[in-house]
Amino acid sequence: MNWLAKIFRALSPNCKEAIRLQSDALDRPLSRMQRIGLRIHLALCVWCSRYGKQIKFLRAAARHCDDGHETKQILPPEARDRIKRRLQAEIDK
Amino acid sequence: MNSQTFPVRDDNHPTPNQALPEDNSPATPGLSDPEKWVDLHGEYLFKYALMRLRDPAKAEDAVQETFLAALKGGKTFAGRSAEKSWLVGILKNKIFDHYRKASRETSFTDLDFYADEESDRFVADGLGKGGWIHELGPIEWSSNPGVGLDNEVFWKTFHDCAGKLPKNVSAVFCLREMDDVDSKEICAKLDISESNLWVMLHRARMALRRCLETNWFGKQ
Repeated sequence: MNWLAKIFRALSPNCKEAIRLQSDALDRPLSRMQRIGLRIHLALCVWCSRYGKQIKFLRAAARHCDDGHETKQILPPEARDRIKRRLQAEIDK
Repeated sequence: MNSQTFPVRDDNHPTPNQALPEDNSPATPGLSDPEKWVDLHGEYLFKYALMRLRDPAKAEDAVQETFLAALKGGKTFAGRSAEKSWLVGILKNKIFDHYRKASRETSFTDLDFYADEESDRFVADGLGKGGWIHELGPIEWSSNPGVGLDNEVFWKTFHDCAGKLPKNVSAVFCLREMDDVDSKEICAKLDISESNLWVMLHRARMALRRCLETNWFGKQ
């Protein structure tokens, strides 16, 4: 009966488990049992469905990070000069 | 003859001489003077590093190390963009070195962070155990969250939130989500197990999602 209980567990993840599975799915393939269980859960749970969409959005956003609209911070002029001097010293060696 | 050949040579000479500064580059196609690297690429490399290291001093170091390594590995290039991606490639390795150092300094299992901060949003006991407490479940984010991507304030919020992640967690999040590095490669380079990595990424997403919901989407 133990295996039956295991199957039942796998097929009915709770929300905490379902959000973990959705995160894992972004980094590794889930087992068939996990996939089915997750699908059943998501069909019934609006919160976890939103959660899944939102962490996918986080990934999409993170991949846009370098597109320019990020940090306004620039390489400070002192640092720029220091690096130039360091490079020049290396060249002169 | 001499009087004829010399003028000819003299005529020829000035042209290559004038063209010399430009002529240098075709000889080593597109390779810009290492001293000019800092002006050409310094800014981009610095931003790239700052985004991932979140520490201006460390980002400056990484940029300097990158240029020095580039100097040693001197190469020629077909164009400026090739030079830039070559430098970014070197910088990526330098950033990895910083991450590795960080992972040695602080344990990769940051206990504060692993203390389940989302547990207050789930039913602790009884029939609904492990389910969202309804009013604390994820809210609907504005119908097209993509609009946030053009918004400066959104990005500031995003970076502020990401900045709150513990260093190690932030490192794996950057590698996996910003740079799309494969799980196995991250584990090998940072010497952590895959299950450890998955927990860290789960926590990172959880914390970042919650922070954005509170500070951005919840306020829309």
